[in-house]
This record gives sequence, structure tokens and C-alpha cells, in this order.
Amino acid sequence: MATLAAGPDTAAEGIVARNLTRTFHTAVRRPGFAGALRSLVDPLRVEKTAVRDVSFSVERGRLLALLGPNGAGKSTTIKMLTGILTPTSGEARVAGVVPYRERERNARNIGAVFGQRTQLWWDLPARESFAVLRDVYGVPQAEHRARLAEFDSLLELSEFWDTRVRHLSLGQRVRCDLAAALLHDPPVVFLDEPTIGMDVVVKEQVRGFLRHQVERRGRTVLLTTHDMTEVARLAERVVLINHGRIVLDGSLEEIRGRFGGTWQVHATLDPAELEGAPPPGIRVVRREGPRVVFGPDGSGGPGGSGGAAPPTVHRALRAIVERYRVTDLALEENDLEDVMRAAYLRREERPVRDAAEDGAVADGAAADGAAGDGAAPAAGRSA
Amino acid sequence: MAAPARAPHRPWRTAWITPRGELLSPPRLTATALRLTVQVFLVVFLWRGLYAQTDGAVAGLDREQAVAYAVLAVLALRIRELDRHSGRDTVQQHLHHGTIVYWFLRPVAPRRYHALRALGDQLYGFAWVVAGYLLCRSAGVLPPPASAEAGAAFLAGVVLGQLVLYRVMLLVDLLCFWTLRDGAALRIVQFAQNLLSGAFAPLWFFPGWFRTMSDFLPFQATLNTPLSLYIGRIPPSEAPHALLVQAVWAVGLAVLTRWLWHRAALRVVSQGG
Ligand SMILES: Nc1ncnc2c1ncn2[C@@H]1O[C@H](COP(=O)(O)OP(=O)(O)OP(=O)(O)O)[C@@H](O)[C@H]1O
Ligand SMILES: [Mg+2]
Repeated sequence: MATLAAGPDTAAEGIVARNLTRTFHTAVRRPGFAGALRSLVDPLRVEKTAVRDVSFSVERGRLLALLGPNGAGKSTTIKMLTGILTPTSGEARVAGVVPYRERERNARNIGAVFGQRTQLWWDLPARESFAVLRDVYGVPQAEHRARLAEFDSLLELSEFWDTRVRHLSLGQRVRCDLAAALLHDPPVVFLDEPTIGMDVVVKEQVRGFLRHQVERRGRTVLLTTHDMTEVARLAERVVLINHGRIVLDGSLEEIRGRFGGTWQVHATLDPAELEGAPPPGIRVVRREGPRVVFGPDGSGGPGGSGGAAPPTVHRALRAIVERYRVTDLALEENDLEDVMRAAYLRREERPVRDAAEDGAVADGAAADGAAGDGAAPAAGRSA
Repeated sequence: MAAPARAPHRPWRTAWITPRGELLSPPRLTATALRLTVQVFLVVFLWRGLYAQTDGAVAGLDREQAVAYAVLAVLALRIRELDRHSGRDTVQQHLHHGTIVYWFLRPVAPRRYHALRALGDQLYGFAWVVAGYLLCRSAGVLPPPASAEAGAAFLAGVVLGQLVLYRVMLLVDLLCFWTLRDGAALRIVQFAQNLLSGAFAPLWFFPGWFRTMSDFLPFQATLNTPLSLYIGRIPPSEAPHALLVQAVWAVGLAVLTRWLWHRAALRVVSQGG
């Protein structure tokens, strides 16, 4: 197996995933009593590939959002990168360490929050949990105090950090978990849905905290979330994953460009016009009397059905105005959530090569390692 | 950012987690004290009542010995009855909720972390035992050890017994990595531990086949051996052999659990996410 470049490669200090694949084997019960008996001696094993051939890299000091629908394989990817799971095949390197091979060394380099689970001790006040972790990681006392003060100024922890964790609200608890994960000053941070259960004010606070950690402290952050506002505010770059495969690796603009074509034009037409067929590439979504809503033809956005891509909003506007006599016109473009819905729902997968190449382009002048790794799956697959 | 000089790992605070949680909730302390008192009184009355029907020794134990054994067993159970469950801090719960992942994300091996926590728990439980012991002694329900030699052998037996006990409990915890959905299996092991260690009743009262069976199991090394040394049911002349058996169990289980830790680390598949 080719090993990852270990030299003075900038990406090697951040996160590098190359062809990561993870297959789970689970025993399923056969139906009925006889089936249950048979399953005892001859368990029926099903194989499920949760992550397939995932390659990407995050440079040091950058934040990357790993997005995808439920069950896409995001958490599984993070578990491999944190060293909890060993990949079935492929390789990972985090801050220069292969995480699942050197768990303890890796532990000093990374911090992790799995939003739904706490690493704090239920019966202790949060601050005492911090002290336990300080001793576990061997952080000097002065450094610990300074860092706690910093986290407190950003996350307002001192309001509740003397409360026992069992009595904290979800949002308070996750904030404490964020602090706990960063107390030992890890250069790389993994956050699996860190803003789960937070109200809008606290979410903004946490975003500020994360920005601070990336921009001022130079930490590398890999984040998953289902909150698109968060993505819009935090992420320069996203990796979109679906059914365990990378669909796209690029900037938010690229995602909008590829999946954001689901515009709608609301028009009020002259009643005489109503019978005419819409211009090519445009279809009637809804019609109430003279009011008609047009959308791009082809379900699920531009990548949808074959044939020519539907027109952009601007071209569609011109076509509609040219075709009909329009008395009123309004334009509605999608927000990021609609874009993501289109991306998640898209049925068939375009060859990974596309996505990877986009990724490489998106990296632009980024380190060779990053771009090279982005393109790796294309080279690796003979398809 | 590159890791600066680190202070060494200071383990005592990790060991202190459960006791600290207990001390922070006084109702639990009161409940423990109350429960211990009631249990001690009950076993004292139970065994004195039983012996009132007979005269002399039963199964080689006279009345004082039987009462002393039962009282010590009640106290000793306290050592491992720390309530980790309500703190969502048992291995089974960590596996169930997926929080076990954090054990593998820290620079302390899970094996070491588990041992440290147990050490703290057992020392804390031991403080309760000493307090209870002194109270029972002064209340006259507990005689002193059968002899000075018996006392010394008892102390050695307690330490070895705690080592074996830790490994047995660890074995149960490790089994959770495989039988996650199988709480029943775990309860059976726990019941066997209580029964076969002598916690429910002195092993000497059980039939011969039962004692033979328990000779081949580690459970009696946890409790029955030190208690029998204390009351003199195992005479000091046989103490070296009894202690040796305990030591063999301690070492054998250490090897086994070490290997299981290795296997468990390979298969830790955290649930959900
Ligand atoms: N331990 C496991 N055993 C079997 N299958 C698993 C296991 N863990 C995950 N899977 C499967 O792998 C797939 C990916 O799961 P994963 O938890 O990585 O998804 P996710 O992207 O994090 O989803 P979500 O957004 O809902 O958190 C799912 O289909 C899941 O059923
Ligand atoms: Mg997940």
C-alpha cells in the first residue's frame, strides 16, 4: 500500500484521508421462531459499506464542513479519523499521525466532540471535569487557567460550570463539552454536530468560538452539521458525502452553482397567454388563475434528468418575458437549505471523477498534497 | 501549538471521580449509612436467631464466627456497591450511549483508566468498611480476628481478594463489549459472584458438591477466603495455601483481562452517531 507523503507536506499536519472505506458486518435475525433458532447457529450476516473510497484533505488552520444526509457516513468518517474505528481499507493521517494505529499519540493532537454524547462526568460540576482532563493530559496549571478564562469569555461558561453536569441544559452541556475537547490545545479538532440542541444566540456564540479557534489559534477543524446557517457562516469549503461517497469537494459557491438551480419565477400572465407551452427547459410548477410559477425542467435540479441543462435564472427570466405577456414578475432563488435538499435528493451518482476534479480545482493554489489527494479517487478508479 | 512541555499525567484526580460525585450528593451518603446499619442489624439478628435453634457449631462455624462472617460480608459488599449507575458511568452504559468513544480518545489507555477508577472506588469503599468495622467492633457485634496470625493473613487475603474482585468485575465489564444487548448474561454473572463469593451466606453452609464447584471458580477468592481467615475457619497453618490460590487467580485473570482489553479495543464500534 502506498503510504502518504510524510515529508514537509502542509496537509500532513492537518487532516488527510485517502480512499477511506469502512464496511460493517451486522448479524440480522431471521423472522419467526425457527429463524431465530437458525440464526443462533448460523447467523445471517449482512454487509454494509458506510464509507466508500473517501479522499479529502484539510490544510492546517482551515475549517472544513463535512455535509450529507442522515446515514451518509459522516460520523463513520470522523470515527476513522479520530482513531476509534480502523478503516477496512484506505489510509488516514491526522497531524502526521495514523490515528487508528497510534491512538494515544493521536489523542494528544486531537480534540473531539460528538454532539449527542458527553465526555463529562455526570456527577461532577463541569469545572471539576475540566480539572480531571487537565490532569489526564498533563496541562500545566497556569496554562489551564488561562485557557479556561479564554473559553469562558467566548462561551460564557462560568455561569454554570459549577453546576453538576446532570443538571446542565443540553446547550450548556455541549458548550462545556466543546471547552473540554480543546483544553489540551489540540491542533486538530473534530466536531460531530456540535451545535445540536442550541438556541440561536448560543449557536452564534459557538460559531464565534469556532472562528476564533481557527483564525486566531490556527486549529484545523472538521465539522459536521445539519444546520445550513452554520455552514454559510463558517465554512469556506465543504465536502458533500452521500451514500458513503464524496459527491462534491469544493466551495459553497460551487455547491450553489451545481445544485442551486432550482429557482422559481412567479409570474402573472395575460389570460390569453395561458395555453402556450413554456419555453424549453422550463416547466410550470403551479398555476392559480393567471398566476403561474415556473421552475427549471427536470426533477431535482440541473443534475436531474438527462439532456441539456435547464437555463439559469437569468436566461429563464428573459425567455419567459419574451414568450409571454407578463403583467407581474417575481424571482425566488433558493437559500442554502434548498440547495442542500436538491443535493441530498439527487438520485443517481455522477462519476466520482467529476466531484474529485472539482475538488482539485476548488483547492486551486492549495498545497499539492491537498489537490493531489482530492483527485486521487479518479486516478485510483479504473472506471 | 506544537505540544509544549507537558506536566506528567496526574492520576489521582481520575481515581477520585466516583468518590467525589458521592461526596457531592449527601443524600447518597446518608442512604448508604442507613442501608449498612439496617443490613448489619438484620444479619446479626438472622444468624443469632438461626443459631438459637441449635447448640454448638454448624458446618464448622460457631455462632460468633457465623455472625462475624456475615457482618464482614455486608461491609465488604459496600466496597463495590458504589453507585456508578446513576452517574451513567458503568462500562455497559458507556457502550450503550456511545460515550465509550471518549475512553479511546484520551492519552490514557482505557485499561489504565478503568483500573484507576476502580482503585479510587475501592479505596473509597474501603474507608466505609473501616468505619463500619470499627463501629461494629465497638457495638460488640464483631469479635476481633481469631488470632494475630489470622489477622495478618486476613489483611493479606483482603488485598488479594480485592485484586481478584477487580478482575472479575472487569471481566463482566469487558463482556459488555461483546454482549451489549445481553443484560441478562451480566446479571447472571453478578448473581453468581454474590452467591459463590459467600456474600449471601458463608460458603461453608453449602453442600459439598457446591463447594467443590466453587473451588474451581475465582469467586470465593474475593470474599470467602479473607473472611474465613478472619474468623479462623481457615486456620493460619493453611493460610499460605489459601493466599497462593488467590494470587494465582489474580495473575490468571490479569492475563485474561489484558488479552480481552486488546480484543475489545479492536472491536469497539461505537453505537449511533
Ligand atoms: N456500528 C455500525 N454497524 C452497522 N452499520 C453502521 C454502524 N455505524 C454506522 N452504520 C451505518 O453506516 C451508515 C453511515 O452512518 P453514519 O453514522 O456515519 O451516518 P451520518 O452521516 O453520521 O448520519 P447522521 O447525519 O444521521 O448522523 C448508516 O447507514 C449506518 O446505518
Ligand atoms: Mg452522524
